[in-house]
Amino acid sequence: MKRSLAGIAILAVVAGLLYYAAGRREVELHQREFFVMGTLVSITIADTDRATALRAMEAAEEDFRYMDRTWNPWKPSALRRINQLLASTEWFSVAPSVEPLIRDSMELYERSGGLFNPAVGGLVALWGFNRDEPPTTPPPREAIGDLVARAPSMADIEFDGIRIRSRNAAVQLDFGAFAKGRAVRIVTDLLLEMGIRNAIVNAGGDLRAIGRRGDRPWRIAIRRPSGEGYLAVLETRGDESIFTSGDYERWFEYQGRRYHHILDPRTGYPAEGVSSVTVVHGDAGLADAAATALFVAGPEKWPETARAMGVEQVMVVGSDGTVYMTPAMAERIRFEEEPPRVVIRSP
Amino acid sequence: MITPADRFLLAAAGLLLLLLYALFWQGSGRASRVEIVPGDGSPPLHLSLYHDRTVEVSGPLGESILEIRDGRARFVDSPCPGKLCVQAGWLAESGATTACLPNRVILHLNGGEERFDAINF
Repeated sequence: MKRSLAGIAILAVVAGLLYYAAGRREVELHQREFFVMGTLVSITIADTDRATALRAMEAAEEDFRYMDRTWNPWKPSALRRINQLLASTEWFSVAPSVEPLIRDSMELYERSGGLFNPAVGGLVALWGFNRDEPPTTPPPREAIGDLVARAPSMADIEFDGIRIRSRNAAVQLDFGAFAKGRAVRIVTDLLLEMGIRNAIVNAGGDLRAIGRRGDRPWRIAIRRPSGEGYLAVLETRGDESIFTSGDYERWFEYQGRRYHHILDPRTGYPAEGVSSVTVVHGDAGLADAAATALFVAGPEKWPETARAMGVEQVMVVGSDGTVYMTPAMAERIRFEEEPPRVVIRSP
Repeated sequence: MITPADRFLLAAAGLLLLLLYALFWQGSGRASRVEIVPGDGSPPLHLSLYHDRTVEVSGPLGESILEIRDGRARFVDSPCPGKLCVQAGWLAESGATTACLPNRVILHLNGGEERFDAINF
């Protein structure tokens, strides 16, 4: 009698689980990957019918390609033409496809205290980080010194309606720390306009996630700056962008020293003291610019820059492996393995 | 002495175990399959990660060499100048992706439980 009661109990549990399993559905994902803006872009869409998803992904790719063609200062483009005209220090009419990027960069330049400075395209070219193949030697010290002394900055740019000029002939715009973020924002907005509510737009590891993956949030792993594997995991909430700037992305070694691509506009050399900065923010363009500015600010000064730029969720990995976080980031991040030292700092 | 009730009980318990396994086993996050997208526009290769081998695929710059061994995959060599793809090292986790951007070759691990939907770096 007892045994049949136990059997009935087990059967009831089985029936319950079957009912649960029937209610739990597999989430259908649509994915498209393509090479653009010098990186691999991946778009993932959940909970959308196939035809709509395909149409949206095609439109998204087209938009990315348009922005790549327009905003690449190192190939024939609207931005390259603008750079040629800026060097003349004369007034000219700015291309409408680039104008918002310049205006917003000017504001972010001010808020970052000059640490986010897309006017240093000349410095990027001097180091050779704009080319496909990585540089093999650092540029001559004097050449860096000369360019830094000419101090090209976004504050040198002046607008008069749609006309623009630079007061400094050394200003050369390179939106390497902003264009990808802005493109991710624009493309995700396009998906939203097309009725898509659940998606990830990932441009070479920097991404904006909207909605959820079925009955759970999107789960994002953050790469460990040194070595293989993941440092931490983050579950997204609603509509968020996660951007990381790391010294492992582009670098070269010369005479036993490592030189990475995130240049400090004040010294002309790669910024020191930080391995990576991760920023979570509602605006992908701002997250992109802030990740670079906070990287340049360094392990001591980043909280001031974060406050000035209105960024509340930050994780900084110092060159010594120390993990610095804002309280808002610490509250939600899950480490794969507890870091050796964690420091919480308010922005 | 095994009664029909015992048999019923054993069968029910066995069924429960199977169901629990199927529903809640999350796996270790390790991938079981690999997708290699060549850079020359030819269709992607879908291979098992448990079959050790070396694969050569073409791209605009030439041949990229990838290795699959012990449930992991990596770029061994690629005709790109920076070799960032080779520096990325072994991938084992489901959902992990790396690519040789200049040669347009993509390496993507899947199968098994994907612990993440995207990797931020």
